[in-house]
Amino acid sequence: MQNLTWTGTFGAYINPFFLTALSAFFLFAVAAIARGFSRADGATLLNPTPPTIALMGPTAFIGLMIWLLGLTGLAPFSIMALGNIWLSLVACLIIGLVAGFGLFQISAKLILKLVWGASYAVLVLFSVYLIVGLFVAPETTGIVGAISKQLTPTWIALGATFALSIYYKRGLGLYGKLFDSPIGMIGLALVLFWVFTALFGAGFDLIATHDPLGQVSGMKNKHPGFALRGAEAGDYPYYLFGGDTLARDVFSRAIVGSGIVIVIAPAATIFAFMVGITLGLPAGYFGGRLDTVLSFLSNMVLAFPVILLFFLLVTPEIIESGLPNYLAMVLFVFPVIFVAVAQYSKNRLKSKFLTLKFPIMMVIAIWLYLSLVSESGTTIAILPPLLDLFDVPSEILVVFVSVVFVNSPTVFRIVRGLTLDVKIRDYVAAAQTRGEGPWYIMLWEILPNVRGPLIVDFCLRIGYATILLGTLGFFGLGLESESPDWGTTINAGRKLLSVYLAPVLVPAFCLMSLVLGLNLLADGLREESLRD
Amino acid sequence: MGMFILRRTGVMLLTAICLTFIVFIMTNLYPNLEKLAKNEGNFRMSDAEVASYLGNRGYTQGKLQNYGEWLGILPGYVIKGIDGKTRGRCSNHGAVLENSAKYCGVIQGHWGFSSRFKEPVSQIVITRLALTGKLMFWVLMVMIPSALILGIMAGMREGSQLDRTLSTGAIVTTATPEYVSGVIFIAVFTSSAVGLKWFKGSATSAMDHATLENFLLPVITISLYGMGYIARMTRASMAEVMTAQYIRTARLKGVSFANIVLKHALRNALIAPFTVIMLQIPWLLNGVVIVEVLFNFKGFGWVLVQAASNNDIDLLLAVSVVGVVVVLLTQLISDIGYVFLNPRIRIS
Amino acid sequence: MTQDNNFMHPAAEMYASEEKAGKLDRREFISRATALGVSTVAAYGLLGLDAPAAAGGHAKMGGTIRMQMDVKAMKDPRTHDWTQISIFSAGWLEYLVEYNSDGSFKPMLLSSWEANSDATQYVLKIREGVKWNNGDDFTAEDVARNIIGWCDKSLEGNSMAGRMASLVDGDTGKAREGAIVVIDASTVHLNLLQPDITIVPGMADYPAQIVHKSFTVETMVSNPIGTGFMLPENLEVGVKASIVRNEGFEWWGYAAGKGGYVDRIEFIDYGNDPATHMAGFEAEEFDLNWESIGEFVELYDALGLVKSQVASGATLVVRPNQDHAPYENKMVRQALAMAVDNEVLTELGISGLGVAADNCHVGPIHPEYNPDVRRAPFDPVKAKELMDASGHGDFEHELRSLDSGFWKDTCDSVAAQLRAAGIKVKRTLMPGSTFWNDWAKFPYSATNWNHRPLGTQVLGLAYRSGEAWNEFAWNNAEFDALLAQANSLANADERRIVMGKIQALIIEEGVTCQPYWRYVQRHHVEGLVGVDMHIAYLPQIYKWGHAA
Repeated sequence: MQNLTWTGTFGAYINPFFLTALSAFFLFAVAAIARGFSRADGATLLNPTPPTIALMGPTAFIGLMIWLLGLTGLAPFSIMALGNIWLSLVACLIIGLVAGFGLFQISAKLILKLVWGASYAVLVLFSVYLIVGLFVAPETTGIVGAISKQLTPTWIALGATFALSIYYKRGLGLYGKLFDSPIGMIGLALVLFWVFTALFGAGFDLIATHDPLGQVSGMKNKHPGFALRGAEAGDYPYYLFGGDTLARDVFSRAIVGSGIVIVIAPAATIFAFMVGITLGLPAGYFGGRLDTVLSFLSNMVLAFPVILLFFLLVTPEIIESGLPNYLAMVLFVFPVIFVAVAQYSKNRLKSKFLTLKFPIMMVIAIWLYLSLVSESGTTIAILPPLLDLFDVPSEILVVFVSVVFVNSPTVFRIVRGLTLDVKIRDYVAAAQTRGEGPWYIMLWEILPNVRGPLIVDFCLRIGYATILLGTLGFFGLGLESESPDWGTTINAGRKLLSVYLAPVLVPAFCLMSLVLGLNLLADGLREESLRD
Repeated sequence: MGMFILRRTGVMLLTAICLTFIVFIMTNLYPNLEKLAKNEGNFRMSDAEVASYLGNRGYTQGKLQNYGEWLGILPGYVIKGIDGKTRGRCSNHGAVLENSAKYCGVIQGHWGFSSRFKEPVSQIVITRLALTGKLMFWVLMVMIPSALILGIMAGMREGSQLDRTLSTGAIVTTATPEYVSGVIFIAVFTSSAVGLKWFKGSATSAMDHATLENFLLPVITISLYGMGYIARMTRASMAEVMTAQYIRTARLKGVSFANIVLKHALRNALIAPFTVIMLQIPWLLNGVVIVEVLFNFKGFGWVLVQAASNNDIDLLLAVSVVGVVVVLLTQLISDIGYVFLNPRIRIS
Repeated sequence: MTQDNNFMHPAAEMYASEEKAGKLDRREFISRATALGVSTVAAYGLLGLDAPAAAGGHAKMGGTIRMQMDVKAMKDPRTHDWTQISIFSAGWLEYLVEYNSDGSFKPMLLSSWEANSDATQYVLKIREGVKWNNGDDFTAEDVARNIIGWCDKSLEGNSMAGRMASLVDGDTGKAREGAIVVIDASTVHLNLLQPDITIVPGMADYPAQIVHKSFTVETMVSNPIGTGFMLPENLEVGVKASIVRNEGFEWWGYAAGKGGYVDRIEFIDYGNDPATHMAGFEAEEFDLNWESIGEFVELYDALGLVKSQVASGATLVVRPNQDHAPYENKMVRQALAMAVDNEVLTELGISGLGVAADNCHVGPIHPEYNPDVRRAPFDPVKAKELMDASGHGDFEHELRSLDSGFWKDTCDSVAAQLRAAGIKVKRTLMPGSTFWNDWAKFPYSATNWNHRPLGTQVLGLAYRSGEAWNEFAWNNAEFDALLAQANSLANADERRIVMGKIQALIIEEGVTCQPYWRYVQRHHVEGLVGVDMHIAYLPQIYKWGHAA
């Protein structure tokens, strides 16, 4: 069977257009940046007179330099045409200079329009691959189309979410406002893309083409689009992103790996927030000795190089001693406390709630907590196996605990600072005069009012946790070797990176896009929440 | 001010003591000691051999006793082993000397002896710290100016096209961890497969004499990741300053834009980045570990990994002390600097 | 090349006729004959051949060679557990005998040795004119003292005691009274408890470096007294180390034409990440690497480096430990071996750098191998049936291995194949520092075994009942008896019949999956000679040099 090319038979017609649009986009974008240095074409300041051109001299020079650098980025594209890097570089510089000179003659607004036009053209042409790929055989649209087809569930879910959200955005609060900010929308799209891919790919197994752990003889280190050797009926006939050094399908591993990352990173961040909030609120609100002790403890954890901490926590000897399990016991209790205190402080006067709902809620919460913590066969086996709802595999638990542990003190500091800031506000004083309890004030007055910065930090922190997971994988700590999670895969593939790019670049690109999405989302949220 | 520094130093000492005690307990768990014994003796030693090895070398005394000896507030052990040799903590790991000191711990200036490297810990830490210092120096030299320039340029006209581009660029660099950018750099610029071979993918020779060729990639790898964050902080601070009343007044008075940026805005805009940079330094330590491992540059980060994976107790303790001191010292400097830069703040 | 040895063992002539009759392969013959004390030239001569010329003949004096190698801390040679340690101390500490990649044993500090007809008594002749670098003469006393030292079981981690087992008194853990006798200044007699043809191969192994009587571990680097032509210059553990020529010292090897070409050897530590090694090679920071593994062999070839490759008896066993349930069940063990295709493990585990093996830990490289006995055929369906029939069909096996290299890749591949057969497996990775703590006791794990000259050596170390390194926890009286039979001298046909029985027994019992025999190889830049990969990684640095 033939191997797949990137864009298949269909690509022969579209590729020239696509490459032209892409090159044009880069050219215009670089030009626009260069123009950005030369004149104030952004939001004008309050001064009604046009800004002086005093900065024109040096900035135009800087702009030109950056621009030339950017043009060298075009070189790889022209290699295709000329085959020689130096020749292409020179050609690029000449074309760039000429085009740049021309571009400086037209107005900044026109350049912006050209940039947007080119980027739309790129997007449209790219989506042609994706959309056509949905309906035809993999051979027609190549790897890009085939992957798009595999991702059908994600596209549907993403499309539906966006359509509904944009339609109802006025009634959706801060989330709805995101759809006013392009940055926020791009970020959200990237994040949702991975959430849905993880859900459908790792959760329902609708996307992956092969078993992420399965090895097929003859597929070791094969390039993307390689036809499966010895394929039988029912097997997907290609390795879309090629095979890794153990002859496993890179595409399927990246997809299934997203499941691990998308679950662990946000979950660990949520737990870190629970710990940070539960401790940070009283530390900031009450101050005094409690604050001193908690701050000292958090500074102590922060004073520790994160990597050293990981090495100490994740070595097999320490795991054997059960330390991570004890740590998990301590850290996981905070969500329970948080929920209990929040509910109790809000409803403490409703007797019906206290006698019926509250005990039931607490029993469930404690049961969940015990199932999470208790693990048969380790030092902590509190629950009998019959009652133990789920066992978290020990290596995942360890990684999870480590990430929560290093993130909590930072969240604590943020919450404490915000609380210190907010507790002198009028509405807090008003609640105090109303005779509300301190916990009610903290959880139902202060916390909702500081949610903006916390949500932003939450998004950033998930990205940070994702990177941390990768760092653990990089040092071979934590998850088991075959695990398809991105960090471990990058570490496994980087040894041969100089020859076989796909096994590393695919998970690296996945990781980057998710973290980028989270950062953009955080940016969008920050912008929109500041606009209130 | 003096009182403030004194108090912070006190806190620093207390933190260091608490942390080293925790590290001490963790490294002295029996499985860890077993690992140590097998690394030192022979990988395939029997359990009885391990026990006698550890007993002979004073590892099986009480934890508090051992910690006290390390600190230097308790006299070092002298043990006559079951193999007939007498060993003592203070006896230079050879035969016991009659005149060897009774106390030999950190207080006396003895940081112990590394079981992995067979050298005094203080010597290892100093050499390796110097190498990392070299790396960090160049990282800071590259990272800070470029981050500040990028941040100021993006922040001076918030919302402009330039701002958008630079901010997105900054986000992209923060979203690319070192272990991704490092391997990509190595693949693209050093490997024969790609064929550029502009730089070297190993910084081993940079330990003796660093050149652009062998040192650029490690420096760039760390700088890029750290740069984005500082640039964004600078941008935020710059953007805030640019909307302040006094800038507006200056503009209305007809001061040129360049003068406004350079003379009026810059000083105030740099307060926040300064603290961020100082707080970034301990955090760079992470990046250093990854990059040093990636480029085989044997500095402090490499020592950290070696000490941790070989359970080299004395070395690990010294490494954590250094880590704590770096973190708290940079915090202190950032606080003091903040006071100097911002006359409105007074330390109570 | 001097061959001051005309000794001819009666068995050697018998072997030569067997070789000519096609019953014995050449390799076996060379190993067997030289182990009994026949010189290499004489052994080749028996076959009517000339001994291969040494490559070092074309080397010039002087120069520096830089090698990528783990730089480890020094310790007593007897306790060396990594060849990398010995290669540094080999600068000034030498061996009595050396083992070569062609299977021959050559005298170094000995001039010759002879065994009696049933290999229970050896006569060691000391080389004349060897001096320690402090001026002392090298005598029979030195040899006897070192051999007695090797026999000392009370030294923690002394692995020489196992090799010298037939000289050791089981009760005291020291050399037996009368086992080592100094006859005169140049002769030592060894009196063995039982026939043992492995004693001379044992003396050629890397921990068997000969030390001076003033030797202490603490001063071995600061006061390096030895017979070798180099001296340690500096040693920075984990970073770098170097040895330099001992100028003015009249090394015996110069006169004997042994070589000793280079002035200086530097060892640079690049950690254990092969990608870093490659970066170092590309940055031209060293001339020679320790070992090329996996895909990197091809990559180094593509860089234009010179490859030196040897087929060896180095291998990996992916084995169950019979002390743990359910591995006491023979059907389970058979199923584990049967579900795995060794060809695929060779392809994926070691990038095809080796040949598939037959799960019995004796192979073509060993003199006594019986090629007629093959593994139980690869049959995943039958494996699953066997596993189900044993009642452990749902058992989840936990396969442990080191966390990198061919250990990891091979085990990942074993796990994938077991899963494909319908057998549940979980993988657990451990760093070397932890893995070796309990390597012999894990229920199901993988261990690498280095090349040993004779097939019976590994079987005796690892498969005999009750041995400390018997990681299979396999107790089989029939096997022990067969092994003892194979260890005594007999003619090739009979020995091969016994070996065939041993191989069949190991396979039938499903003792282990032993998927391949590795090739070992290293790469170096153009213009070096004598730096070839050694079949057992032995440190023969005196052969190194720059091409003339």
